Amino acid sequence: MGSKLKIKTFKFSLLPSSFFLLPSSFFLLPLFDNLMFGLIGHLTSLEHAQSVAKELGYPEYADQGLDFWCSAPPQIVDTITVTSITGQKIEGRYVESCFLPEMLATRRIKAATRKILNAMAHAQKNGINITALGGFSSIIFETFNLQQIKQIRNLKLDFERFTTGNTHTAYILCRQVEQAAPKLGIELSKATVAVCGATGDIGSAVCRWLNVKTNVAELLLIARDKERLQDLQTELGRGKIMGLEEALPQADIVVWVASMPKGVEINPSTLKQPCLLIDGGYPKNLATQVQHPEIYVLNGGIVEHSLDIEWKIMKIVNMDVPGRQLFACFAESMLLEFEKLYTNFSWGRNQITVEKMEQIGEISVKHGFRPLMSF
Amino acid sequence: MPQLEAIPAIDFQTATYKDAYSRINAIVIEGEQEAHDNYLTLAEMLADKKEELVGLAKMEIRHMKGFQACGKNLKVTPDMVFAKEFFSELRGNFQKASAEGKVVTCLLIQSLIIECFAIAAYNIYIPVADDFARKITEGVVKEEYSHLNFGEVWLNAHFEESKAELEAANRQNLPIIWRLLNAVADDARILGMEKDALIEDFMIAYGEALGNIGFNNRDIMRMSAQGLAG
Repeated sequence: MGSKLKIKTFKFSLLPSSFFLLPSSFFLLPLFDNLMFGLIGHLTSLEHAQSVAKELGYPEYADQGLDFWCSAPPQIVDTITVTSITGQKIEGRYVESCFLPEMLATRRIKAATRKILNAMAHAQKNGINITALGGFSSIIFETFNLQQIKQIRNLKLDFERFTTGNTHTAYILCRQVEQAAPKLGIELSKATVAVCGATGDIGSAVCRWLNVKTNVAELLLIARDKERLQDLQTELGRGKIMGLEEALPQADIVVWVASMPKGVEINPSTLKQPCLLIDGGYPKNLATQVQHPEIYVLNGGIVEHSLDIEWKIMKIVNMDVPGRQLFACFAESMLLEFEKLYTNFSWGRNQITVEKMEQIGEISVKHGFRPLMSF
Repeated sequence: MPQLEAIPAIDFQTATYKDAYSRINAIVIEGEQEAHDNYLTLAEMLADKKEELVGLAKMEIRHMKGFQACGKNLKVTPDMVFAKEFFSELRGNFQKASAEGKVVTCLLIQSLIIECFAIAAYNIYIPVADDFARKITEGVVKEEYSHLNFGEVWLNAHFEESKAELEAANRQNLPIIWRLLNAVADDARILGMEKDALIEDFMIAYGEALGNIGFNNRDIMRMSAQGLAG
């Protein structure tokens, strides 16, 4: 499958921003007692981590292999200021956990789990009120039952201070389906929507929303665990359980939210035309870059803010408009900080209700976030 | 740091475990003895803090006795010859610095590097220790934080004039820690302690200490990884 892709591109908005202009005191990050939100993130691969370390000017980290990253401690590497369209201004911190997906691929599970817990402890020690667990962080937390570990050295973790951000991510993915489909001439009432990773926390929430809030014609449920798939099908009262190969040629829209250390290769010629692919994975679920005039790939689970955000980290994770675009899960901690909702809004597995999605959606709109719509 | 997976049951009575324990236990005993001696030396160098430092030295002797009891409990004879050789380079650097009146270097070696090394090792050891040693070590680690705090407070109060010496002392002494860790990595693994976990916990404790003293994030990342590349 060597098809090179050139994604059909039409940008609805491209906004100038001054994110490259960082003050010289950028790395002087004092500890604040005042209110703050936090984001725990990680990079997509060892190669990515090495290049970012080099770019940020950390030669001690740039030339190192996986062993080094398995030993590396969490770091606060960015300070963030966000202004709501209401005029409210909040401040946050980006905590780099030093987790890399290769740790899972090579079964270095202890290292992977340590990264997440140590990053959470670091966030709490630095006085952050509400921190989103981005990328694989929340998946590792859930998969390895890290809630049983509360004591990290001399610190007791307070899980109320953390959120997976999955409710907002699921809401944004659904809004991307609802808003992008008509632009491509896909009528939801006649559309087949495949959800790859349907039984996950985000995937199941997407299915619930599409089931209740839209009139999609058909739902195709794709995941590895057959028992969970059947439970989901029972809960929804609909949906066809299918393998990926079988489902793709039938789908008008595919929502990708599987947790995979590496993306899958797909052959664009097997897809419907038009076809909307919404890739909500981090790292991306799609390894293939699709080059086909009738196949549209949208970065899923990404929001665009109405005002410039002062930070550097989103440039590093390759956002098209890093001053305004960010992961919806990160935006959830900002929303909770704006609303002073200091609670683990998204927590546990498969507990995201349509009502919670509506609630976070209202707050999201109120403060000026909208789903990314640039292909 | 808590263990995150089910810990395979460790048989504390095997010859392999006891052999590894004889060296690790000796290092801990020797480390506490040297910490005692170092705090007494510091007490002479910092006359206004003498009482506090003598108090810290006494605590270290109590810790040493606790760890000697841990060895006896497992019927292990600590390999003190190995332990003295293990610490000789670090001890030599401390003694040279004290002879030259370099308080900052002495504090970095004892109150930061050695204390952070001890805190990391004890925190990683606690979940895999035998019941007797776990109780002793839990008590010790709490007190080690107060020793680390002494160094942090003093160096923070003298940060600007100490900065260059701290950087130089870090450059000289932190690589020794990585060599020491490598030297006992196999023994530590037999006791259930992973090398990457030890390094990570050390870097966390040391990074926090450097931050409390006044270093910024960029300095901390550079200094705490000093000499680790290799």
